[in-house]
Amino acid sequence: MSAQPSPDTGAAVIQTTALTKRYPGAVTALDALTVTVEPGITGLVGANGAGKSTLIKILLGLLPPTSGQARVLGGDCLRDAERIRTLTGYMPEHDCLPPDVTATEFVTHLGRMSGLPATAAKERAAESLRHVGLYEERYRQIGTYSTGMKQRVKLAQTLVGDPRLLLLDEPTVGLDPAGRNSMLELISRIGTEFGISIVVASHLLGEIERICDHLVAIDGGRLLRADTMTSMTQVSQVLVIEVDEGSELLLAELGQRGLEPRPYQRALLVRLEDDATYDTVRDAIADLGLPLNRLEQRRRRVEELFRDEQAQDAQAAGTETPEASHVG
Amino acid sequence: MSAETGVIHDIGYRRYTGRRLGRAQIVRALYWHSLRSAFGIGRGAKAKIVPVITFVVICLPAVANAVAVARGNARLVPYDTYAFQLRVVVMIIYIAAQAPELVSRDLRSHVLPLYFCRPLRRLDYPLAKLAAFVTACLAMIEIPLLLLYLGTIAQSHGGSAIWQQTKALIPGLLVGLMWAVLLAAIGLALASLSGRRAYATGAIAIYFFLTWILAGILIAVTQRTVVHAAAAPPGAPPGSPQKFETVTQVATTGAHLTGLVSPFTTLDGVRQWLGGTSEGPVPGVGQYGPLYGVMLLVLLAASLGGLAARYRKAGAA
Repeated sequence: MSAQPSPDTGAAVIQTTALTKRYPGAVTALDALTVTVEPGITGLVGANGAGKSTLIKILLGLLPPTSGQARVLGGDCLRDAERIRTLTGYMPEHDCLPPDVTATEFVTHLGRMSGLPATAAKERAAESLRHVGLYEERYRQIGTYSTGMKQRVKLAQTLVGDPRLLLLDEPTVGLDPAGRNSMLELISRIGTEFGISIVVASHLLGEIERICDHLVAIDGGRLLRADTMTSMTQVSQVLVIEVDEGSELLLAELGQRGLEPRPYQRALLVRLEDDATYDTVRDAIADLGLPLNRLEQRRRRVEELFRDEQAQDAQAAGTETPEASHVG
Repeated sequence: MSAETGVIHDIGYRRYTGRRLGRAQIVRALYWHSLRSAFGIGRGAKAKIVPVITFVVICLPAVANAVAVARGNARLVPYDTYAFQLRVVVMIIYIAAQAPELVSRDLRSHVLPLYFCRPLRRLDYPLAKLAAFVTACLAMIEIPLLLLYLGTIAQSHGGSAIWQQTKALIPGLLVGLMWAVLLAAIGLALASLSGRRAYATGAIAIYFFLTWILAGILIAVTQRTVVHAAAAPPGAPPGSPQKFETVTQVATTGAHLTGLVSPFTTLDGVRQWLGGTSEGPVPGVGQYGPLYGVMLLVLLAASLGGLAARYRKAGAA
C-alpha cells in the first residue's frame, strides 16, 4: 500500500496515447491527445477550454477517459490511481482554502490525507510552508491572507506529501506582477533544486515560458505542439541591428545596399539570407560611422510560434510581426 | 537527492523516507478529524458552545433520575424512550448546528478537490464523515442512557436488581443506535446540499421540526376525529358520549399511520413494533409495525443515496 516514491528518473513522467474525453452532450474536451512529458518543468499551454483541466483530472484518476490511455510516473491512471495520487501534488486553479483555520493546521491535515503519520505531517507542513516563504504568518487564519499568500499555501499543500510530480493549474492567477514573478521563481526553484517534475498549466504563454524546459500546447483538446523550450525559441532568420544614433540614416543605407530593413522599436530588422548579410550590415555601419550597439540573430518567442502556426509562410518572408508587446 | 550542499537558501528540500499510511488509515484519520470537529474540538471556544450545552441538557434527566433514586424512588426515566420530547429537541439543535460543521464548510471553501487528488477514493470522504457523525450522535444519545443506568444501579442491591436494569438498558441502547444512524444520515445528507452554513442549518432544523410538529398535530387530530365518529352510531342518549378508551381503540388506522411523517415518530414506531413497551408519541402501531420498519429503511436509503450522489458529483466538478 505504502507506495514508496521511486525517482523514475529518465523515464517519461506523463505519457498519453490517443487520449480522448467526451462529455455528455457531445462536448469533446480531449481529442486523441498523444503526448509525452519528460522530467523537468513543462508548460501546458492552451486557451481556456482547451482541455488542460480535463487532462489534469484524467491524470489524477478523477475522470475516466472515454478512450485512449494515460500513464503517470509509470502507472496507469485508472488502475494505479491511488499510487499516482500519493506521488502527485495538485494545485487547483480556483480558491480552495478554508478561511477559518491556520495554514499550519490546514497543511498538516492535508499531509495526513496524503498518508503521513501525525508527527511527520506536522513537520513536513512546517517545512513546506517555509519553502514557499510563509514563516510566522502560518499561525494566522488563512482568511487574513493576501492572494499571494493564499497561492503559496495552495503550493505548500502540494509539497507536504513529498511528491515526485506537481500538477499546477494556473498558479499565477489573480496575482499582481510582483506576485507572479515570485510565484514563478518559486516554481522554478522547486523544479530545479528540489528535483520534482512539474507541469504548469497556463493560458499565459509569455509568462511561463521563462521557467519551462518543455512546452506542450493544446487547443480544442488536440496537441498543437510539444517540444523543448530551446528548440521552440530557436534563432530566427532575422537580424536585429541597434545603433545608438542615426537609425534613419542606416535604414536608408541598408535599403540602398539591397536589403529590406524594417524599423522595430529602437532597432532595425533585416532578413538574414546568408553570411554575406552580416558583411553588408557591417560595411554599411562602418561607412556611416555609426555607434553599433547590438547585432544579433533574433530569438523567436514561443508566443509568436503558436500564433504563427497558420501564418507561418507569410512570416518566413521577413515580414515577421514585431515582438509581442505582452511582457510577463 | 536533496539540494543541501552549497545552496544559499534557508534549508534544502528533504525527501520523506518514513512510513506512508494506506487508504484505510487515511480514512481513519479523516474520521477522527471529523469526530473532533463534531464537538468543536481543535477549533475555537465558540465552536464548542452548542455541543457542550446540548450535551449537558440531554444529560439532565439522567442526573435528575440519579438524585431521585438516591432519595429512595424507583427509576423515573425509561431506557427505551428516555425523555422523548427533550431528546428530540436537543438532537435537532445538535444536528442542525454540527452537521454543517462536518460537510458544509468543506463545500463552501471548495476544499474537496484537495481531498480527491489524494489517495482517498470518492466515497471514502462521505463515509468517514458519516461514521464520525454517527459516533457523535451515539455519544449524545447513549452517554445519558449510561448515566441513567449508573445512577440507578448505584442504589440497587444485589445482582438480580442490577441484572434487571441491564436487561432494560440493552434495548434502550439499541434504540439509541437506530436513532444515531438515521438522524446522522439525514442530517449529513441535508447539510451536504448547501455550502452555506446558515442554509444547511435551516434546512435541517426546518425538516426535523416541521415533520415532528406535523406528526404531533396529525396524531392529535386523527385521535380526536375518531372520538366524534365513534360517538354517534350506537344511538346512545344525547349528552352521554362514549368512553374515551373504547373510542381510541376503534380509532386506529389514521393515528397509527401518521407517525410515518416524521423521522422521530418513525423511530418510535419501529421501537414499538419491535416490542418497546414504554409510552411514546405514536399511539400504538397496530398491524402497521412493518410499515414503520420499511419507512426507516426508506429514509436511511434516501439519505445515504443522496449523500453518495452528492459526493460523486462534487468530486468530478
